[in-house]
Amino acid sequence: MLWVDKYRPKALDKVIVHQDVAQNLKKLVTEQDCPHLLFYGPSGSGKKTLIMALLRQMFGASVEKVKVENKNWKVDAGSRTLDLELTTLSSTHHVELNPSDAGFQDRYIVQEIIKEMAKNRPIDTKGKKGFKVLVLNEVDKLSREAQHSLRRTMEKYSASCRLILCCNSSSKVTEAVRSRCLNVRINAPKEEEIVEVLEFIGKKEGLQLPFGFAARIAEKSNRSLRRAILSFETCRVQQYPFTNNQLIPAMDWEAYLLEIASDIMKEQSPKRLFQVRGKVYELLSNCIPPEIILKRLLYELLKKLDAELKHEVCHWAAYYEHRMRLGQKAIFHIEAFVAKFMSIYKGFLISTFG
Amino acid sequence: MDDIDIMDMDIPDPDELQWLEANSHLHDDFDYDDNDFQQPFPEEIDTHNTHHTPIPQSQPPPIIPLSTRTDSNKRPQLEPPISTTVDSKNEAKLDDSRKRSRVEVEQVVDDKIDDEDWLPPPVPQVEQVVEVFEEMIVSRYASQIDGDFVPVTGPCGDRVYAKISRFGSDDLVKKNKLDSNAYSNGLIAEPVSLLMQRVEQEAVEKALLESFGPEGDVTLPKVPVVNERLWVDKYSPNSFMELLSDEQTNREVLLWLKQWDPCVFGSEIKTTTEDVLSSLRRHTSVAQHQKSNKSYFGKNKEPWQNRETFREYKKSDQENSDSKGSQDLWNKNRKGYGTPEQKILLLCGPPGLGKTTLAHVAARHCGYRVVEINASDDRSSSSIEAKILDVVQMNSIMADSKPKCLVIDEIDGALGDGKGAVDVILKMVSADKKSNTGKEQILEDQSAKGSSKKKSRDTSLLRPVICICNDLYAPALKPLRQVAKVHIFVQPTVSRIVSRLKYICSKEGLKASSIALTALAEYTECDIRSCLNTLQFLNKKKETLNMIDISSQVVGRKDTSKSFFDIWKEIFQKKRVKQERKSFNGCKNVLNEFDHLHSLISNRGDYDLVIDGIHENMLQLNYHDPLMQKTVKCMQNLEASDIIHQYIMRTQKMSLHVYQPAIVISIHGVIAQDERPNIEWPKSFQRFRTTLMEKVDILHLWHNNMTPYISRHLSIKTFVEDSISLLLHILSPPNLRPVALHLLTEKEKKDLVQLVNTMVSYSITYKNIKSNPVSSNLRHEVVLDSSVLTFDPPLGDLIHFKDYISSHFVLASAMKQVLLHEVEKQKILQAGINRSMHLTDVCKENQTLATDKNGRSQSSRSHFASAKKMVDVPNPSKLRECETAAPPASSNTSTSIRNAVATKLKSTESMKKPSRANFNFFERFKKVGSEGSQSTETVQRHPATIERDSRPFLFKFNEGFTNAVKRPVRIREFLS
Repeated sequence: MLWVDKYRPKALDKVIVHQDVAQNLKKLVTEQDCPHLLFYGPSGSGKKTLIMALLRQMFGASVEKVKVENKNWKVDAGSRTLDLELTTLSSTHHVELNPSDAGFQDRYIVQEIIKEMAKNRPIDTKGKKGFKVLVLNEVDKLSREAQHSLRRTMEKYSASCRLILCCNSSSKVTEAVRSRCLNVRINAPKEEEIVEVLEFIGKKEGLQLPFGFAARIAEKSNRSLRRAILSFETCRVQQYPFTNNQLIPAMDWEAYLLEIASDIMKEQSPKRLFQVRGKVYELLSNCIPPEIILKRLLYELLKKLDAELKHEVCHWAAYYEHRMRLGQKAIFHIEAFVAKFMSIYKGFLISTFG
Repeated sequence: MDDIDIMDMDIPDPDELQWLEANSHLHDDFDYDDNDFQQPFPEEIDTHNTHHTPIPQSQPPPIIPLSTRTDSNKRPQLEPPISTTVDSKNEAKLDDSRKRSRVEVEQVVDDKIDDEDWLPPPVPQVEQVVEVFEEMIVSRYASQIDGDFVPVTGPCGDRVYAKISRFGSDDLVKKNKLDSNAYSNGLIAEPVSLLMQRVEQEAVEKALLESFGPEGDVTLPKVPVVNERLWVDKYSPNSFMELLSDEQTNREVLLWLKQWDPCVFGSEIKTTTEDVLSSLRRHTSVAQHQKSNKSYFGKNKEPWQNRETFREYKKSDQENSDSKGSQDLWNKNRKGYGTPEQKILLLCGPPGLGKTTLAHVAARHCGYRVVEINASDDRSSSSIEAKILDVVQMNSIMADSKPKCLVIDEIDGALGDGKGAVDVILKMVSADKKSNTGKEQILEDQSAKGSSKKKSRDTSLLRPVICICNDLYAPALKPLRQVAKVHIFVQPTVSRIVSRLKYICSKEGLKASSIALTALAEYTECDIRSCLNTLQFLNKKKETLNMIDISSQVVGRKDTSKSFFDIWKEIFQKKRVKQERKSFNGCKNVLNEFDHLHSLISNRGDYDLVIDGIHENMLQLNYHDPLMQKTVKCMQNLEASDIIHQYIMRTQKMSLHVYQPAIVISIHGVIAQDERPNIEWPKSFQRFRTTLMEKVDILHLWHNNMTPYISRHLSIKTFVEDSISLLLHILSPPNLRPVALHLLTEKEKKDLVQLVNTMVSYSITYKNIKSNPVSSNLRHEVVLDSSVLTFDPPLGDLIHFKDYISSHFVLASAMKQVLLHEVEKQKILQAGINRSMHLTDVCKENQTLATDKNGRSQSSRSHFASAKKMVDVPNPSKLRECETAAPPASSNTSTSIRNAVATKLKSTESMKKPSRANFNFFERFKKVGSEGSQSTETVQRHPATIERDSRPFLFKFNEGFTNAVKRPVRIREFLS
C-alpha cells in the first residue's frame, strides 16, 4: 500500500489537516441528525477522507465493509426503457457512486438509486440512524437535468436518505441543490499543514527528515496533500537517507508543458502555433483536463514574462478559459490563448527592441 | 462555324425524296466517325457496296495509325470510314428492290477551326446505304459464316457478321443516277456539300410532314414549329465522336467495353485489330494497367511493318507503364474466357458532364442494347436482382435481339436502395472470381477444343455493367469501388462547351454572344445540360442571352452540394477576379463572393466538420501575419463557432445554425490566399478523441480492479494530473538490485515486500507484450528479444508524450520478472486469506448474533460482555495476522495460510463454547423467538439483516467437522 492510503486517517479525531472541519462534523453527527452535505474543494485536499471518516463516525466500522456492484437499472423513460449500468460501492449503510459516469443519462441514475434506497428503508426507526447515506461523487460533472431532478428527490426522500455530495467546484452545482445542502468547503491544505503531515508520516516510518526537506516537498506539491505524500514516498524510494538538495521528481506533463511554454517564448508564428497544437493534443489525449493545461501554461508563461505584460496575459487567460467552459472543443480555446499570447508578446518584443 | 446554310438548299428530285423517306429512319442515327475502332478494314466494308466486283485480298488496306489522326485532329479524307448499316428491315427492302448504292463520304466541314475548338459536328456527315446482295452472307452469328468475315455494327447498334466477298469493285458508284460526272473527283459522285444539303433538306421535309420527328433526328425547322423536345435530348450526341466529355475517358470506356467482346460475341470474331487496340492503349493513361483480352495474331493480315510498329507500341507501353505482367496477362487472357479484369465500370463525376450519354453511346457503339436502371425505378434488392440477372446472364434467345448492356444510373442516389443493386453486383463479381480459379482448367480444355464459348455460369457476370454515380465516395459504393474500374469525369474545357453551345444556338436561331455563352458555361460549371436548358428557356421567352441574365439569377442554379474539400479550398483560396471587373464593381464582387460562399457552405451543412477542416489546415497557409493578429482573429472566430455549436446543442435551437456560415466567411476574409492550398482531411481531432477514450477506458478498467478502499479515493480524472508520474517512480525504485531474493539485505527485502504490496493493492502487474521499436523510446533500450515486460494496465503510456523523454527509471527485465512472480504469488495468497477471512466473517456474524440474543435473554451481563470481547479480540488479531502474513510470504506461504486457518478455527471454537454451554443450537433460536427483542443492539442489526430477509440464508456451522449442522434458516427466524 502506498503511504497515501496507509496513513489516511480513518476517524474524525485522527485527522491532521482539517481539524476544525472534522470537529464540526463530529458535533453535527453526534446530534443524531444530519443534513444533506456538500463537500467541495480542490482535489487532494481530503474531501473523500473526511467523508469516509464521517461515515465511520455515523455508522461505525461496518461502513468499511463495502462491496463493489455493477448495478443494472431498467428505467422507464416515457416511451422507451433505458438500460443503465453503473458501478456502485455499497455497505449496509451507504452507497457510493459516480453518476457522471453514466453520461447524459445520469439523471435517471440519480432518481432511481434514491428511490431504491427509499424503498429499502430501515424498518426500525427507533434505531440509531433511520436513514442511509448516498455519496455522490463529482456532482459538478452532473448534467443540469440531473441536478434539477436531484433537488426534488432530495426533499421527497429526505426521511430515508441523506446525500453527501462531493465536487471540486461548487459553482457548477446549481443554486437549488446548494441551498438544500450544508456546504462544507475543504480548502487545499496550507503548506505548513502538509509539512506537519509529512513529518507525521516520517515519524511513523522511522525516517530521518533533513530540515526544510518536507517544506520543499510541500512547496512543490501545489498544495495537494496526495501529491505531497506521493512525492515524499517517491523521494524515499529513490534515495534514502534524504539529502537536503535532493531532487523532487516533477510530474511528466508539467515538464512537457514547460517545453511548450519555452517553445512559445522562442518563436511566435503560425507554424509554431501548429507545433504547439500538436503538443497540446498530446496532453489532452493523456487525460489532462484542459483547464489544468491552460492554468499551468499561464503559470509557466508568467514566470518568463516581463512584468508589464503579466496583467494583460492573465486577463486573456481568464477570458479564454471562460470561453473554453462555454464551448466544447477545448483545443480551440487553448490554441486561441496561445495565439493571443504570441501576438501580445511579439508586439511587445517589436516595440521594445525595434 | 458551319458553312451549311439552310437557305440555299436545293430541292431534291422526287425520286430522291422518295428514297430518302423510305430510309428516313436511318438518318436518325448519325454515323460513327471513328468506325476505325471496330472496323479496321474499311475497304472490306466496301465490298458490300461493290456489285460483285472482287476486291483483291492481297491488297492491303491503307491503315493509318490512330495516333497520327488524332494528332492532326482532322478527319482523314483519304480513307473514309464508312459504316455499313444493315438493318433487317432495310435488308429485306433492299433485297427485293433495285440495287442501288449510295455512298456519301463525309466531309470535313470545319477546317478553319483550330485544334482546341475542334468539335465533331453532330450533323450526319456520312449517309450511306448499303446494298446487300442475296449471295452476300450476312448473319447475326459468326458461326454461321464460313470463311472470312467482318463484324459490322450499324449506328443503331445492330451487329452482324458479313462474309467477305472474294470480289472487290473498283467502280463504286457507277450507277449513281444523281451526279455521275462528279465521280471523277473522288469516291463519291457528287460534291459533299450537295449531299449534305440534300440530306438536311430531306430531314426538313420530313419534319414538316410529321411535325414531330420520331426519335433523335436533327431536324432543322425552317419555320419555328411546335417543337416540344428538350434541346438536351435533341442535341444529345449520338455518335462516339460527338461526345463532349474528355476524350481519354471516352476511349477508356470504349476499350473496356471492347474487352467484353470475346465473352459476349464469341472469341473468333475479329473486331479490333492489334494496331487499333494498341493505339487505343497508347492513349490510355500511363498508369492504367490494361489487360486487353483481345489479341489475335492469328489471321492477321496486317503488313509486317504494322506489326512491327505495334511491337514498338507495346514495348513503349510496357516501358511507360512498367506493367511487367501485362504481357503475361495478355497472353493468358487470349486463351479463354474473355471478360475483362474488372467487370464493372464505375463512372463518376458531377452532374451534367455526360456520363449517362457516354455510357449509352459507347454501349450502343459496341453493339449492345442498353438497359438502364436508374433511381426512378424500383430499387428494392429482390427486384433489382431479378432485373440484373435478366440482363446480365441471359443470352438472347430471339435471333434479332442484341446483347444487353446494363447501365445503372445514379447508383449512389438512393443510398438504402442503391445498396441492393450494389450487393447484387458484388455477389456476382465475387462468385465469378471464385469460379474463375476453378474453371481455369476447364476453360483451357474448352479453348483447346475451340468449341463452345457460351458457357453457362451460374451467377457470373456475362454482360458489361456500367454504374454511374455522382459521388464516388458515397458510403454505399465503398465495396464497389474496390472491384470496379473507376473513371472520374473531369470538366471539359469551357471552349469546347462554348463552341458546341454556339453551334446549337445558331441551329436554333438563338443569338448569343460567345462571351455570354462562356459566362454561362462557367456559371454552370460546364454542366452542358444546365446550359442547354437555360438556353432553351431563353429561346422560348424570345430573349437573347446576355451577361445580365446570367448574373441576375435568371439562370437556375443547381442545388449542388460540393465536397468538403471543395469548400475548404474555396475558403482558403481567393477567387481570382479579373482586373477590369474589379475596378468596376468591387463592392458587388465582394457581395457575390459572400453569396457564393454562403450558399456553398450552407448547402453542405455539417458546419462542425467544416470548422474542423479550417482549424486543421488554417495554420498551413502562407499568409502574411507578422504580429499574429490574423491568427488571433481566426482563432476567435473558431472559438465563437464552437461556442455557438455547444449552445445550439445544449438548447436544441437548431435555427441558430444559420449563423455558422457567416463565421466561416469572416475567416475566409482574413486568411484567403491566392495560392492553392494543400488541404488535408481533419483527422487530428478524431484521433485525439479516440486516444482519449482508449486511455480513459484503460483507467476505468484498472480502477474497477482495485479494491474499493483505494479506488474510492482515486479519481480517474485527476489521476494523471497528480499521481501517475509519482506512482511510476515508486513502482520502479532505482536502488533495487536485480539479484536473487536471498542475496538481498534485510532492508532491501522490506522494500521489495512493500513494493509488491503496493503493486497488488493497486492491481498493477507486469505483462509480456510484443515489443515494438516505436514505443520503446524510453531510456531502456537493452531489450532486444521480442517480448518486453510492461505494466499491465499500460500506465507508462499515459506519460508518453511526443518528443518528450521522460526521466523514469526502468527496472531491469530480470527484476521485472521477479516482481511479476512475487505479485502473482501475493495475489494467490491474498485470495486464500480473503476466503478464510470470509469464512471467519460468517462465523463471527453468527456468533455475535447468537451471543447478543443469548446475552440478553439468558445469560448474565458479564457473560455477554465476555463473549463480546472474545468476538472483538480475534478480529483485529486476525487482521494483523493477515497483514503480517504478507511480508514473509515469499518464504513461508503455506505456513501463513495454515496459521490463518488455524487461528480462525480456534477462534470459532472458542466462540461457540459459551453458547453451547447453555443451549442446544436450535433451542436457542426458539427461545430467542419467544422473547421480545427490543434492545438497541438488535435494532442496530436491522439495516443489515433486512436486506437479506427475503432470501433464504445458508447457515453453516462448523462445516466439515463432526458436530457440523447444515440447515436452511430464514433471517426472519433469527429476528422474530
